[in-house]
Amino acid sequence: MSDTNAFTAMRVADRLRHRTAAPWEVFGERLRRYEVHLNGDRVEMWRSPIELEGYGIRLFREGEEALGVGGAAATDLSDAGVEASLHDAETVARYGRFPARRISLPGPGSHYPEVDVVDRSLWAHPVEAIETYVHDLLEPFHGRSGVRPSFGSVRATLVEATLANSEGLQRRYAHTNVELELAVKAFGGAEGAPAGEYWATRRFRRLPGAQEVHADVDRWCRVAEDVRHAGSPVSAATNVVLPPGVLADILPTIVGFRLSGPAQLRKMMPPLDARVGAPILSIDDNGLEPFALGTAPSDDEGVPQARRPLLEGGLVRGSLTDRLHAGALGLSGGGGNGKRESAQFPNWFHFAEGLAPTSTTLEVPTGTGGSDDELIEAAREGLYVEQLGYAFPDPVSGAFGGELRAAYRIQNGRLGEPVRGGTIGGVVFAPEGAPSLLSQVQAIGSSTKLVGGLKTAAWLVGGMTVAGA
Amino acid sequence: MSSLRDVEGELAAALKRLEGRCPYAETMAERTQGRRLRLDRETVTPQPLPRLEGVVFRAWDGSQWVEAAASGLSAHAVRSAVEGLMGRLPASGSSKGPPGPSATGRAERATTERRPIADVSFEELVAWGRTRLGWATSVAGIENALIAAQLAVDERLFLSTAGAYRFQHTARALGSVTPLAIEGGKVEFDYIQRGETGGAEVLDRLTEALVTHAAREARALLKAREPPTGPMNVVLDPTTTGTFAHESFGHGTEADQILRERSYLAPLLGTTVGPECLSIVDDGTYEGGWGSIYYDDEGTPSHRTVLIDQGRFVEVLHDRESAAALGRGVTGNARRADFLSRPFVRMTNTYVAPGSSSLDELVREAKNGVLLENFTSGIEDPLGGNMQLKVKKGRRIEGGELTEILPSMALSGKVLDFLKAIRGVSRREDFGVFAGFCGKGHSDLLRTGAGGPYLLSHAIVGPA
Repeated sequence: MSDTNAFTAMRVADRLRHRTAAPWEVFGERLRRYEVHLNGDRVEMWRSPIELEGYGIRLFREGEEALGVGGAAATDLSDAGVEASLHDAETVARYGRFPARRISLPGPGSHYPEVDVVDRSLWAHPVEAIETYVHDLLEPFHGRSGVRPSFGSVRATLVEATLANSEGLQRRYAHTNVELELAVKAFGGAEGAPAGEYWATRRFRRLPGAQEVHADVDRWCRVAEDVRHAGSPVSAATNVVLPPGVLADILPTIVGFRLSGPAQLRKMMPPLDARVGAPILSIDDNGLEPFALGTAPSDDEGVPQARRPLLEGGLVRGSLTDRLHAGALGLSGGGGNGKRESAQFPNWFHFAEGLAPTSTTLEVPTGTGGSDDELIEAAREGLYVEQLGYAFPDPVSGAFGGELRAAYRIQNGRLGEPVRGGTIGGVVFAPEGAPSLLSQVQAIGSSTKLVGGLKTAAWLVGGMTVAGA
Repeated sequence: MSSLRDVEGELAAALKRLEGRCPYAETMAERTQGRRLRLDRETVTPQPLPRLEGVVFRAWDGSQWVEAAASGLSAHAVRSAVEGLMGRLPASGSSKGPPGPSATGRAERATTERRPIADVSFEELVAWGRTRLGWATSVAGIENALIAAQLAVDERLFLSTAGAYRFQHTARALGSVTPLAIEGGKVEFDYIQRGETGGAEVLDRLTEALVTHAAREARALLKAREPPTGPMNVVLDPTTTGTFAHESFGHGTEADQILRERSYLAPLLGTTVGPECLSIVDDGTYEGGWGSIYYDDEGTPSHRTVLIDQGRFVEVLHDRESAAALGRGVTGNARRADFLSRPFVRMTNTYVAPGSSSLDELVREAKNGVLLENFTSGIEDPLGGNMQLKVKKGRRIEGGELTEILPSMALSGKVLDFLKAIRGVSRREDFGVFAGFCGKGHSDLLRTGAGGPYLLSHAIVGPA
């Protein structure tokens, strides 16, 4: 990426400095995206380059009782375009209202951690790196009968994020992101079983190597084949083993909201020190996890990211805030989780999103449950859930649930026949004494995996409701 | 601000450059703007919608499509996208054009806005939100509600080397009210939402009666007992019927998935899949539909396509490539989420057509089971033919009558079994088309409408 005119936020900031004495902040992004779309095992379409540059402004109007927060975002970097954005932000700041008297934006001088968020090979040679990855992805299918990809894409984005504010802060950092989607189809055979599918979706910072890709593809093929022979679950309250991939679809959205400043402001957050989880369960928000999606040297307000405890031994110990909510809640300092990204609907560019406290990477310390096999043995009878249709985690009520797209029966402490169909669901948080996902955790495995916004081992959860035939 | 039409000359010149390098090329320039509001008892956040503008070029290189895109509508942005695309075109390619018919001729359409979005001030928008907050919190036990509104204008200009010119100005308005009930550490809500193509008048559909009803429901959900689990008779409300039509049937009729051999419906085309009372339609021309468009992103005018006609599966949805491959006509379903996204075969407004029963008759016929109300999500299973629909609430059906309120539920089952088990569809007076967002796979979210009347069938239900 060329450095010419690279400092998007700084260019807009120059105008703001001369225009207003009110506190302001500009977040800019220059993005270059490369997409490969697959049809079966062939490349259907290359889309590149896709170049996007834009900025989001926040402008604060301090008042006696409340803060007016104005915002605007645009891709138009012309003088007239920036002027229109500033006018918009000033206008809406007059009508906006937030229950804090002032905002304490970070100035220069903070110590920012070194973090790993760039795939250097992808950054230097994006087309070649993606071609290699696509080759690694498709190679295991060659010569394999009865299984092939049907639909998929690889989309890689190189981002240069810049941030400036009225306190003199000027920050710039680069990061890379990759989105993979691949539907693997198992078909054919003499027995006339219906076709089966495993639908893989992944988001990561760096392209995995061939060995890791091949291991993943082998597993996806195996599950797609198993799905063809799956039986139906039966209705029961049962033990369930949930691997990191399933938990990653549930926890960041719900925990990231219910233990946050916006939830606290609206009396939806459990009080500090309240018991919401089993004593074996702790959760940190770790903004520094290497190559995790939420990792960055600073949040999008410019506050250094860090590790913050949220749950310790099942008790609430902290919340996620940005500077705006920290001000409203009377917390000194605070912030570090102000992100322009929704955990529920992540987008590949962020400048156009509103800023709100969001989890970075939720990290669950390992337990003593051992390997997945040991958790399955401990469960004795129940289900191992490989994939849900879509858990649709609801941050407000804390409910989640969906169809079992790929699961296995656990019988006598061993994995049994594949299961598909029916639903599984529950709530992540419940009043003390009532059942919930967090309170019913019986064991946590000993080997963690980073998936999306969550790093955890598998969980054994007791008494989950399954609806089946 | 200048009109999007002003860049026609720049785009036409860029297409001329591409004409020498490929047998066919097209471009779509887009500009989006508008305003939005989020408001509750604690905060008021009015904002302009992000002003996103840019251009995408697509060229047929003789054997496949290639694309490049850039933000901005300046000469520099257009040049950058064209040069990016030329870098991917072979120096001397085939002269064979892309499959399917190319759009030709000039056409323009614009949404009729009775209250133009551009005329709505932020002050008016905030006042609209405060009124709804007041209605919601007038109900005992409701202290707060989340109010949201979005007034969006999307302009698209499409040009091609085949001589097509399409300009469409689409205005859409979406409003929602989510009353919150909080007690003893438990948080519940219900919601009401209306979204249509049109102007700010659409927001007036969130009436006091609807808002206070949602508030009372939120309060009742705090005390709701767990729903029954297992196979049972289900009556879907119009929002859930729409999600069923969209997720469970519509995705399997996207012909690009048929060409990928990823549709369980492919071998069933031309056969009877449901009872005579069932017809499913995808209609991009539906007046006021949230997913209505004037032209798709290949320049084809939007269509009304009957997918299931009185139980018989008769048609699927096409772009130019799939129509050519399957020997059918284009149906106006090639849609891009925006200038940054590729076109796929996508739905517009997908619904179950009205039948002849009443809700009372369907509930009596069900005898025991659940009424599923207020969809929250669904997800397709285009190859496996299963379904997942989720709702925010429901009612227990006991002895042919609606009884207690039930909290959020998920429905699952085989779509074909569900179709065969349909025993009734209610009348036109219950019919509605509702606003939603749809992904192709897990990406490329765009606006689609979905709807229908009440519908009675049989499926597995559980908590969610």
